Amino acid sequence: MEPTYHSGGVNFCWRLRYLFSEPKRCDVILVRFAGSKVMLLKRMVAQEDEQVEFRNGKLFIDGKEMEEPYVRLPCNWNLTPRRVEKDCVYVIGDNRSMPIDNHHFGQTSKNRIVGVPLW
Amino acid sequence: MVKIKYLLIGGPVVIIGIFAFFYFFPNEEKKVKKPFHLLSEWVSKSPDENPFTLLQKMKNIGTLFDERCELRAPSQSLSGSYTREEISTYAGSARSHLSQLDLKFYDFHILFPEKEIAKVTLTGRLTGRSGTGEQVDETRELECVLKKIERKWLFSEIEVVEVLKK
Repeated sequence: MEPTYHSGGVNFCWRLRYLFSEPKRCDVILVRFAGSKVMLLKRMVAQEDEQVEFRNGKLFIDGKEMEEPYVRLPCNWNLTPRRVEKDCVYVIGDNRSMPIDNHHFGQTSKNRIVGVPLW
Repeated sequence: MVKIKYLLIGGPVVIIGIFAFFYFFPNEEKKVKKPFHLLSEWVSKSPDENPFTLLQKMKNIGTLFDERCELRAPSQSLSGSYTREEISTYAGSARSHLSQLDLKFYDFHILFPEKEIAKVTLTGRLTGRSGTGEQVDETRELECVLKKIERKWLFSEIEVVEVLKK
């Protein structure tokens, strides 16, 4: 999530953030693995049934180019269009300077969302 | 007075006895976790590891697996059925590309669907440094099936869960 969050930094998770609401586009969220000891910090870019695509480093949702002021490092990704499945969201990190194959991103189930970072 | 003396001596003896019982006769969940701790120890590598330790660890890794172990990794070409020897060889080969390696397991969820079979869901995190100095940091959710064979829990199936699907 560089440069928004630094690798190895310490933060707290606000677990009640989505108790009565759904994650919105551009929210930074925590995604769990098997439990709560190790989590991923990612930015939610698309909701269920939306189409995600990358063209020359630009993110397109349902064919519309997205403004992403939080992406400050150069990116040249290309990703063919794919639709987000039911009860899922699409998450990506802010650091897109590495090759697309080396970046851990994609669609994840909503029940893996634990909360948001406290700051 | 005599009773208090017995209590003062007997109390600690009972407490030590309880701890000793749990230490020497661990419950089944602890026994299931043991191969994970050993795998973590044997896969991990320090920069100054000597060749003798390397060979010993490679040999040991195979002993944690069933005669054949099924590996399922949806987005990678690693899927297949492997023998103990193949696993030892692959682990050794992968370790040789890295100067430093640390494997840790977190968040164990253990179920016993059948007698002598354990299903474990957990998070595995591999960190280290390649020979060229590049940082390695891979975290995956794993679903493992272990079988109890000759009083030892051995890995029989390992599946990499796709938490993020591109």
